[in-house]
Amino acid sequence: MTVHLSAVGLEKSYRKGRTGVPVLHGVDLQVERGELVAVIGQSGSGKSTLLHLLGLLDTPDTGEVWLDGDRIDNLRERKRDDLRNRTFGFIFQFYHLLPELSALENVMLPHMIRLKAWSYLKQRKAIRSRATELLERVGLGHRLTHKPNELSGGEMQRTAIARALAGGPEILLADEPTGNLDSGSGQGVLELLRDLNRERGLTMMMVTHDQTIAQQADRIVRLAEGRIDEWAAAIA
Amino acid sequence: MYKWMLCWRYLRHRYIALASVISVMLGVATMIVVNSVMAGFSEKMRDRLHGVLADVIVESYDLDGFWNHQEVMARINEIAGEDVEAMAPTMETFGLAKWTVNGHPFTRQVQIIGVQPTERAKTGDFAEFLYADADAANAKTPGERVNMPASFEITEKVKRNRPAGRFLNEEKGPDDPFDTLIRAQIDEEVADHGAIIGFAVGHLHHEGKDVAVAPPGTKIGLVFPASGAKPAPGYDDFTVVGYFKSGMSEYDSTHVYVPLERLQAMRLLGDGKSKGAVNQIQVKAKAGVDLDELARKVQLGLEGLRPMFFKVSTWEQKQGPLLAAVAVEQSILNILLFFIIAVAGFGILAIFSMIVVEKTRDIGILKALGASTSGVRQIFLGYGLALGIVGSGVGMIGGLLFVWKINEIEDWLSKVTHRKVFDDAIYYFDKIPTLVEPFTVMWIVGGALIIAVVASIWPAHRASKLRPVQALRFE
Repeated sequence: MTVHLSAVGLEKSYRKGRTGVPVLHGVDLQVERGELVAVIGQSGSGKSTLLHLLGLLDTPDTGEVWLDGDRIDNLRERKRDDLRNRTFGFIFQFYHLLPELSALENVMLPHMIRLKAWSYLKQRKAIRSRATELLERVGLGHRLTHKPNELSGGEMQRTAIARALAGGPEILLADEPTGNLDSGSGQGVLELLRDLNRERGLTMMMVTHDQTIAQQADRIVRLAEGRIDEWAAAIA
Repeated sequence: MYKWMLCWRYLRHRYIALASVISVMLGVATMIVVNSVMAGFSEKMRDRLHGVLADVIVESYDLDGFWNHQEVMARINEIAGEDVEAMAPTMETFGLAKWTVNGHPFTRQVQIIGVQPTERAKTGDFAEFLYADADAANAKTPGERVNMPASFEITEKVKRNRPAGRFLNEEKGPDDPFDTLIRAQIDEEVADHGAIIGFAVGHLHHEGKDVAVAPPGTKIGLVFPASGAKPAPGYDDFTVVGYFKSGMSEYDSTHVYVPLERLQAMRLLGDGKSKGAVNQIQVKAKAGVDLDELARKVQLGLEGLRPMFFKVSTWEQKQGPLLAAVAVEQSILNILLFFIIAVAGFGILAIFSMIVVEKTRDIGILKALGASTSGVRQIFLGYGLALGIVGSGVGMIGGLLFVWKINEIEDWLSKVTHRKVFDDAIYYFDKIPTLVEPFTVMWIVGGALIIAVVASIWPAHRASKLRPVQALRFE
């Protein structure tokens, strides 16, 4: 197994008024290719921040993020935009679908962002059929033209997963993917992620505060007060 | 690609933003309507001014004028013959008109103009402005107009209009001795020379109707300065044969046209036949000739003939202050109205800032999915432009429709409010004149678009500067 994504001495603090509130105090973490890692911890322990830093949604105060042996946190903005578009797929607790677009269009969005108008129009058919395929894969083949407000929570999260997969990412970063769902749909979403992890060899990192969900990961990383509190070993 | 798509979707689903462009729409529509109406007015006014005045007017500083107008005209022909189509010598002076109708005396201050009617007609729209009787001049549609020939001839019809005329008996024919007596009476009554008087000189406007106070056949006395070492008045009677109605109240309420030769004689400035002085030569230029240039050339040439005596001006220069006043009015109005659109710009700015706040999360998603800073900026700039296009487009169409149907709208408003919105008595326009200048419309629409885009720059910039995490934390 090779190291896919790693964090070296990540530190991050947020400004609240005049005082800085430290969130991460030097986090070192290595995620191997194809591994499903669950990050757990109490709220405020910095797990979401860690995920954001790894996914280049934010920049660390100090420390480094490495992808496949290359440092990526100090890349130019354009490169980082491109990495977010191609290499990472994000899943959020509140789904974060664009309300003006249909499910299908939401799934096509990564390609719309990636391609210039002309090449997008040329490849539109292929992109559309791939997005349709993905939605069918997550069990929403019958909901293609529905707007997010016409979907249930579980359906929205499945759409968000399809969108995260649409760009053909290597790494899936999920922030409380089941946090807003009832246990039934939550379990369904989790199984979907698990399956995708297996069938596509995707590296996955999932933030959760739910022990039973975390149990189903390959490895559990526990964050406490901005530091890794490593006690969990590989399960599965 | 996503930029266009999102612009389009926002445009279709965010009605609050559409509300912000209503002000742009109204501003654009108002500016188009106001400009079209003002351009129509000034165009029509220029038309009429130009109809009364010839292209270029050569006049002497002295009211008594010059005797050698043949020579002056020859000289003009020599200087600029290829540019000149026609010339007409004219004698213009101020004076008084006095007459009595049914025992009521009328005294008016008038501008007396001695003309050779056929010559004068060649240099402008003089003939088109003449009406044989009041009913014809009041006709609303051009088809009903009964124009009269450019002539001072006192016709039988005019004579019959005298009080004694109603005793004439058609059936008995001209040989009837009684008729012959009446005819002799009439011939004695009417003055030998005809006069065409301004419509508003011979009419009173009363309760929306024009009442003739000097019907054809009326004998009017004119007093004017006569030539001589001492200031002294000249006096003569004329018979009204028709009316002059140009639509410019300034002219219609003062002008009295009389035969040139008669005026010359009575001012002691002519022999009453072919010899006499004039103080104006009206020059009509050929089509496409630069009038300012022509006036300059003629002025220079006439200096050689008699220095410091002639004043040459184009019709525009003669009416300079009036035309300039209209132009100033129009530009000030435009500046004021443009502020309306500027206000609309601030409306867009405010609503856009709100939309950016509302869309913070979406911006975060787009950035998380790899959208660049400039991409996000372009979404909102494009959105501003799209709103501008909708606002100014609808405004343009609305404005043009309003201009197109302005007279119907005026009729309707008059009916609803029971008041005449556009009183045609003031301008003698039977319709509100409009003129749509494509260039002006283009400027208005372009200006509105620029304002819409400029107003969205700041919100767009703010949106683009949001970091994805900042945006996503916003819940």
